[in-house]
Amino acid sequence: MKGYLGIDVGSVSTNIVFLDEDFVIRETVYLRTQGRPIEAVQGGLKEIAGRLPPGLTVRGVGTTGSGRHLAGVMVGADTVKNEITTHAMASSQLVPGVQTILEIGGQDSKMIILRNGVVSDFAMNTVCAAGTGSFLDQQAARLNIPIEEFGDIALNAEAPVRIAGRCAVFAESDMIHKQQMGCSLPDILAGLCEALVRNYLNNVGKGKEILPPAVFQGGVAANSGMRKAFEKALGLPVQVPPYYNVMGAVGAALLAGEAVYRAGPSRFKGFAVAEARFAAGSFECTGCANQCEVVQVTEEGVVIARWGDRCGKWSSAVNEQKKIG
Amino acid sequence: MVMPVKVGIPRTLLYYYYYPMWRVFLSELGAAVMLTAPSTKRVLDQGLKYAIDEICLPIKLTFGHVLELSGKVDYIFLPRLVSVANREYVCPKFMGLPDMVRHRLAGLPPLIDVAVNLRRSGMDIYPAVWAVGRFFSASRIHILKAYRRSVKIWERYSRLLERGLLPEDAMAVIEDRLEKVPLFLENKVCVALIGHPYNIYDSHISMNLIQRLRQMRVTVVTAENLSEKIINRNAARLPKRMYWTLGRRMIGAAFHYLAQNSIDGMIHVAAFGCGPDSMTGELIERQARHCGVPFLNLVLDEHTGEAGVATRLEAFLDMVRWRRDKGVAEGGSQ
Repeated sequence: MKGYLGIDVGSVSTNIVFLDEDFVIRETVYLRTQGRPIEAVQGGLKEIAGRLPPGLTVRGVGTTGSGRHLAGVMVGADTVKNEITTHAMASSQLVPGVQTILEIGGQDSKMIILRNGVVSDFAMNTVCAAGTGSFLDQQAARLNIPIEEFGDIALNAEAPVRIAGRCAVFAESDMIHKQQMGCSLPDILAGLCEALVRNYLNNVGKGKEILPPAVFQGGVAANSGMRKAFEKALGLPVQVPPYYNVMGAVGAALLAGEAVYRAGPSRFKGFAVAEARFAAGSFECTGCANQCEVVQVTEEGVVIARWGDRCGKWSSAVNEQKKIG
Repeated sequence: MVMPVKVGIPRTLLYYYYYPMWRVFLSELGAAVMLTAPSTKRVLDQGLKYAIDEICLPIKLTFGHVLELSGKVDYIFLPRLVSVANREYVCPKFMGLPDMVRHRLAGLPPLIDVAVNLRRSGMDIYPAVWAVGRFFSASRIHILKAYRRSVKIWERYSRLLERGLLPEDAMAVIEDRLEKVPLFLENKVCVALIGHPYNIYDSHISMNLIQRLRQMRVTVVTAENLSEKIINRNAARLPKRMYWTLGRRMIGAAFHYLAQNSIDGMIHVAAFGCGPDSMTGELIERQARHCGVPFLNLVLDEHTGEAGVATRLEAFLDMVRWRRDKGVAEGGSQ
């Protein structure tokens, strides 16, 4: 089988997909990054290689997500793209005619507006990660319910309580207050979903024209309570596409297909990178008063990439093909 | 031989508008002008340590630059800019800057904090010129000559900007130290960068925004590339007069570029905590949406991560190119 790999290294999950030559999704892997992106990428590659038939030819690889540069130098990516472009790319292919993409991941949330199949506007949360997957995870853990059941419990709410969603810290104290007053668990969870949706729409969605069809993707889209809260707040049907949690990786694979079509054969180093010894470290450059934190990635003891320096003296010192995409 | 009086100028705030003028005026009067080096992390960290908490990022940075001059110069040139145009004001923080600096930083060389207030009349520049000149010369003729020469240079600087140069390049041309002339390639993506000069041209604060854009094969145009006439004509389209000079320049430039249809996208850069920016930014964003031009709003503060800025910028340019390739000519949101 021939096809394209897409790798999305996010703060919380690392996703890998394989598309065949006709860009049909053949296999997907969803792993927790657990703060170790290198191990996650290697583990994911091993897993997907094991699931796919032998004699595989990878014709192109794309990486995305906050760990895209790291993953890109590890595997030899043909394209390294930001997560906004990849998500938009994937949705516009999988959900034809989509006009609004609501995306909530582990640590970030974004909204992408498409018109006539082209991105016309987008927004992304800034420093504050209130209302993203990690916060829901944490609250589920505090209430001692598995995150997988969170949404279904919230769907049973009769009268969702009002919770302040502006800040995760306030939301938590508000929730505790409501809980001690005797509100039911479903009502509190549904109230939390509504608060997060309100916060998202006021922050990320400020000034955006949200038109149907609207899709909800990213890891948090698994939470049916959140989907319902979105539908209630927007007054629109919100669909969760089939590959909602690996959309970034799908987009990266699609873009990899485009990149090799334009630039020739793939730079993919092969599935053997799953066994190679990679190490990443950082040091503070003392060359000037900027004190840049330079990150260095090595493969089998050889430096393959450096970044983080403003002047470029460290990153350009790596004679490997350094800039991709 | 008499040692020349050393005057330090912080490379912040309205340096980007007036430095060529200040430099010539002061050096014609016999002063040795010392400009601070471009901002670095250390300069900003110093500023953050000493500036008051509630102030905006560029003022905090200015504290850092002033500290860089401490002990190295005889005077620090920090004019109190109240108004630089008829019936208009500069930001109130600029008016209070000399006082803030004086009260927060001990052991500084004396400040040349002459007030410049041209709100009633442009002729009011002369009292300020005499007041600054008196620090160096007793001769009114000498001062007047220096001023005239500085105005000439400033006019040349403005002309260079209108020809499409950005401030650092224009200053390099004037001071005869231009190493490489930026070439203007046709058929590149053109983006209008709208923001306060001291935010967009300071490569530390803006995280190398202009250089990043140029590396991504983007032609950058700014408010400084337009004549006052064009800016005023466009700013006048607001239903009410904009009485902040800096805000008027941003609005006028943004409206001009949006009406011209010559740009592929617009990036608005605001400093977190800037009151006027929060309003002018909104006015510009609405107009950009109305015209269907891709728009990105970047808010910068000392906590802004470089990765977040890079991601947004990349995504924005992907969007701009994607739209251009598909030849989508949109009027408003369809």
